[in-house]
Amino acid sequence: MNEFAKEKRRQKIKFGIVSILSLCTFFGVWYLCSAVLHLKPDYVLPSPVQVVKAFITKLNTKAPDGATLGGHILASLKVALSGYFLGAIVGIPLGIAMAWFRKVDMFVTPLFDLIRPVPTIAWIPLMILWFGIGLGAKAAIIFVSAFVPCVINAYAGIKQTKPVNLWVAQTFGASRREMLFTVAIPTALPLIFTGLRISLGTAWMTLCAAEMLASNRGLGYMIQLNRTLARADLIVVAMLTIGVIGTIFTVGLDALEKKFVKGGRRR
Amino acid sequence: MKKKKFDLERTLYAVLAIGCFFLLWWFLTTFTAVKETTPGPVAVLKLLGESFFKPIGGKVITGHLLTSLRRVLVGFSVATLIGIILGIAMGTSRWAEAIIKPIFELLRPIPPIAWISLVILFFGIGETSKYILCGIGAFTNVTLNAYTGAQNVDPELIGCARMLGTSERDIFFRVILPSCTPQIFAGMQVALSTSWMAVLAAEMVGAQEGCGWMIQRGSDTLNITLVMVGMIVIGIVGMLLAALMRTIERRLCSWNIMEE
Repeated sequence: MNEFAKEKRRQKIKFGIVSILSLCTFFGVWYLCSAVLHLKPDYVLPSPVQVVKAFITKLNTKAPDGATLGGHILASLKVALSGYFLGAIVGIPLGIAMAWFRKVDMFVTPLFDLIRPVPTIAWIPLMILWFGIGLGAKAAIIFVSAFVPCVINAYAGIKQTKPVNLWVAQTFGASRREMLFTVAIPTALPLIFTGLRISLGTAWMTLCAAEMLASNRGLGYMIQLNRTLARADLIVVAMLTIGVIGTIFTVGLDALEKKFVKGGRRR
Repeated sequence: MKKKKFDLERTLYAVLAIGCFFLLWWFLTTFTAVKETTPGPVAVLKLLGESFFKPIGGKVITGHLLTSLRRVLVGFSVATLIGIILGIAMGTSRWAEAIIKPIFELLRPIPPIAWISLVILFFGIGETSKYILCGIGAFTNVTLNAYTGAQNVDPELIGCARMLGTSERDIFFRVILPSCTPQIFAGMQVALSTSWMAVLAAEMVGAQEGCGWMIQRGSDTLNITLVMVGMIVIGIVGMLLAALMRTIERRLCSWNIMEE
């Protein structure tokens, strides 16, 4: 047993080293292509060193796109979170209502199916037309993108409640209301959380699109503007920032899910 | 849950709902202030009908659709192929996992749309950059699903096959591959719609033809009717693509229908 554990640990260390080597090779090749061989000019392919430098200066310089990195992040977060929470607040109850009340289901589902296949990005011009290019339009676009997964997952979650559980509740004299809140919603919770996670991902992705087309601040805007200025180092900084924040979101929601959802996580 | 029987009540409600939707749309765009900015359903449907004969920009609507579809399909198929290979490699070999996973995890959280600028700087605004963007959209989902699929193959099945003297090659093709096919298909479903979304974004940022370009053109020239026509067409095609994938899935993995 002890031998086995030791062997396992040795394996883990070995493959850990391989992983680190692999990352080093990745950055090494990048550095070689950009700084040593100059395969592409600097404004197209910055070296990793340049990216790190750009990141550090960007922390407190406003040039060339009008805000520091922190300012862009704050602007993006404001847009993404306001749209996201709105989508979740409207979407989850709607999904629950659609699954619980037959009439609502029959009336709303066709409408929902009508709207759903249109990708969020296609809404951008209409939203700009209706809400201007301020916070409103961007929040509305993110609302659409977050809303759809929330509805679908809340709906599927309630629908998978076992009828037997409902019958038991009924036999013990639970009202329909009690059945919804004590049986159906707890059953649906894991899937509702899945919906929240998916929609946070899509919201964050749509944000970039919304800001690329109409904005004057935010990470997507930073990517867009620096393309016209041919500052690839800043583009990479913005991309990596988007990636890191997206990862933080996912990790945070996972922790929340573990705390609130009873009975393990479903995949 | 799904009965093939014709459900009169359900159909009635569906017709009623969609009727209400169009009525509300028509009412808002005829009698209220919304009509200043938004065209009514009649105008949109009329332009939709016309667009099959009258070219928008250089092409009729089917031409734009085919252009977008070609971009999606090229990017999607190449990315799917690479994704499946990488994913299965990561799921079956610890060496591959240790080498590929850190790089993959580094790039995965960056949304495909965020790549647009960099890809344009690298490859210009021609076809290549569109293929690549669609590919990026599809790649992450397929890889991730192939990876988890290959990782979650029941070890008992592999053990059984090995005990009965199956060669490693046969184990791969007869046990591992079939058992992760459903998961790969689930990934491809999502990947196809992400690809479809990525092509729109790419075309809206820089293109001369395609559905995304159509919407952007409508928006630039304040031709909102054109924007709405574009949205309708994109929605329908997106729906058809999803349905097509489901049909293929049902054919290829009939032993494991994931839905219902």
